[in-house]
This record gives sequence, structure tokens and C-alpha cells, in this order.
Amino acid sequence: MYDKTVRRRRAALLIFVALSIGLLTVYFGESASGGLHAIQRGAQEALAPIEEGASRAFKPVRDAINWAGDVFDAKSENKKLKDEVAQLREDLAESQTAQREAEQLRSLVGLPKDELFPQGTEPITARVIARSPTSWQSSIQIDKGSGAGIHEDMPVVAAGGDGGGGLAGTVTSVSGGTATVTLITDESSAVSAQVMPDGAAGIVRPTVGDPSDMLLDFIEKGRPVSTDTTVITSGTRSDRFESLFPRGIPIGQVTEVDAEERELYQRVHIEPFADLKRMDFVQVLTRRGVEQAQVLVP
Amino acid sequence: MIPGPSSVIRVALMILVAVVFQIACLVQIRVLGGTADITPLLVAAVALYAGSVPGAATGFFTGLLLDLALGTNLGASSLVLTAVGYGVGRYREQRDPSHGLTPIPVAAAATAAYVLAYAAVSFMLSIDAPVSLLVVREMLITVLLNALIAMPFFAITRRLLRPVLLVEPGPRARRDSTISSGPIGLRGLEV
Repeated sequence: MYDKTVRRRRAALLIFVALSIGLLTVYFGESASGGLHAIQRGAQEALAPIEEGASRAFKPVRDAINWAGDVFDAKSENKKLKDEVAQLREDLAESQTAQREAEQLRSLVGLPKDELFPQGTEPITARVIARSPTSWQSSIQIDKGSGAGIHEDMPVVAAGGDGGGGLAGTVTSVSGGTATVTLITDESSAVSAQVMPDGAAGIVRPTVGDPSDMLLDFIEKGRPVSTDTTVITSGTRSDRFESLFPRGIPIGQVTEVDAEERELYQRVHIEPFADLKRMDFVQVLTRRGVEQAQVLVP
Repeated sequence: MIPGPSSVIRVALMILVAVVFQIACLVQIRVLGGTADITPLLVAAVALYAGSVPGAATGFFTGLLLDLALGTNLGASSLVLTAVGYGVGRYREQRDPSHGLTPIPVAAAATAAYVLAYAAVSFMLSIDAPVSLLVVREMLITVLLNALIAMPFFAITRRLLRPVLLVEPGPRARRDSTISSGPIGLRGLEV
């Protein structure tokens, strides 16, 4: 009797582990149009209304708790921040929610007016309904899909914390009513970029776990890069390797330049313009658009 | 756990609610730079009250739903949560913990195992970018937050599972004290 119980227990464990490893193997082995990917898209489609409902229903609770968290953090900061927190206390959670949403939408609407932003991109505004809970895979789900004209590889922009905004990621999976956006902080992300105005070009890569610090790599030593300058998507014109992103989308601002003697390239740290931690709305750019200004590339 | 459709439906609904609540709400509530994660808590709670096989099954299906809903690597979460569920279930079967505060260390250990194992699986599968030390801080905060919410979460899970459990979990019954009166031959014995 005891042996039978032990055998049953071990068999159950083996079956579940084998199923998991089998799923992983097949998932990695097949293309994006494969069976498991299709099932995944179907599940996302089916769960989307529930996720959206839950996201909307719990938004006041989230905002209230986040507000309490902000108050806790502010206690260790200076008097100015304490005054701001005191001011925030007077506001109702509901009005804060509405204000925050309005600000994000306003930033998104104003983003194409940036002098470098590519024109004619036809942005579609979508609500964020779910996001990945781990730092290892940064992705979000939005409530618009192929039914709204969204396709894979379209760039996505988000509002910034202090107005403005910038590149947030790219659409990697689409179903009829939802889409998955892989953020630029995902470990798989790499965006070709240029530092303005001198045009030094490199690749923006994430630092896993720290969404406010990204690396602009492959900038040759000797190319002058100064802090506080803006980094934009460079886009490419090659027929073979056309960039996913049109030229001119703001990515972030240079915060630190680290030129080690032994390295061939400089390591340029940038802080993204988009507030990737707290996104309620994003915009998907459904057309490549036309670049506005030319950058001098030496 | 009593095998049958009632148990399956009950646990399936708990998994659905926990996963949707996690990815649509809880993940956006940041406390001290981290977030609580109730998915390993659910798996640990089911395993603690129902045993290793229900724990492993709950872990597998919770991970599967999580990966399906988020479009992440299918099977990665299932693999890790299956191991977490089985491990907690075996702990319960071997040690039969009865202390009232058991959920706290169990939740902390299960969450730590989950975040560490998931990080290891992610590294083995695809991570190619530099990793910030803030990841470690985020993991620690998740473990702490999960330990903090463990008592109410396990209590709710226990209440929901109670109708389908074979053995009612809870503190062991206290032994009767030895008798000191009655027939001389019975005095000093536990009756």
C-alpha cells in the first residue's frame, strides 16, 4: 500500500516535469506561427476581457496602495518632497487616477509634435491590461489587437513621468483583440540608436532588473558623448536589415559616460523617457512615418 | 484532497482568480521597489493543505496559465511551480507541521525557491543582457511581501479548500491530562 502511494506520487511528479520540459522544448523549437504559439494567442484572447475587467476594477485600490507606498518612500527624502506628499494627501484617489490618465494621454498626443518625431505614424492608443510579474521578461498586454490594425513588429511609445515620453517597446504577438508588447527593458531587446546632435550611433540594450538604466553600446572611444543629450532611434534604410523602428523616436537621455581604458567602446548609460514602471496607456505606431529632421552623421 | 470534479473545479477557479489578480492588479502595486507574487503562495498553500500530488498539479497548471496569459516561454513557470508544489507537499507529508505560524516560513521558502529557480531557468533559456543587482533586491522584497501576506492568504485558501480536504488541517488535538482520581490501577495513566 505504502509502495503504491510512493509510486503514484513519483509518477505524478515525473509526468508534470516531463510535460513542462516537453512544452519548453516544443515552444522553443517551433516558429511564431506554430501550434503552441497559436494556443497561447487564443488563451490571451480569451483571458483579455477578464484581465481588462480586473485591471479597471482594482485600479482605485492599486492607486491608493501606490500612493501609500510613495508616502513611505518620501519620508526618507527632503522637506520639499514631504510638502509634495502633504499636498497629495489632500487629493482624492479618484481624481488622482483621472488626472494621471489624462496626463499620460496628453503626453502621448503631444509626442508626435517633437521636432524629430517621424510624422504620419498614425498612432493607436491602447490601455495596458496586464504585465509580466518578473524582471526577466518585460512584456505588457494591451487591449487592442489586429482588429484595430495592429500587427507584429510595430513600435510602441509611452508617456514619461514628467511629460513627454518615448519608445516603450515593440509588438511581438497579436490576436484579434489584444497584443503583447515586449518592452525595451526585456533582455532580448536591442534598438539601433543615435545620440543627438552629433550622430554617434550604437545599440541600446537593457540592464535587467533596472528599468531606469539602459546601456548604449558600441559607441567608439573618442566619439564625444556628453550627458543630458537625447538618444533617438536611428532607423536603417538597408533593404536587407531594415530597422523595426522609424528614425526619430526619442528613447532617453544620457546620464553617464563610462569609458574604460581597456574597452574598445564607450559604455553610455541612458535613462528612458518613457515611464516603463507605471504605464496605463501606450500608443502603437501603425505606420512607419516620414522622418522630420536629418542628423549629421560624420 | 478528495478526488473528484468538485475539487478540480474549486482549485481551477482559485488558479484563474489568482493568476488574473496577479497579472492585472498586484504586479502594478509596487512596495519598496518590489511586488508581491501570489502565484507561488497559492501553490504552496494548496500543497501544504492537500499534499504533494495536488501541490504539483496546482503548480503545473498555475504556471501553464501564467505563461499562456503573458505570452512568455511556455513551460518555464510550470516546471518551477511544479517543483515548488511538490516540495511543499512533501514537507507537509513528512513533518506534518501543526504550528499556527507555519504559513510564514513556508511562504517565504516557497517564494524564494520560485524566484531563484525561475531566474536560473531564464538564464539557461535566453538571458543575454547584463543583469543589475536591483534584481536581487526585487527578489528579496517579493519574498518579504509574500511572507507578510502569508497568514491571511493561507487562511483564505484553507477556508476555500476545507470542503474537499480529506484531513482537516490545523493544530493537533491536545492530549488529555493524566487522571489522579478513580480506581487505583488507573491513576497516573493517560485515559
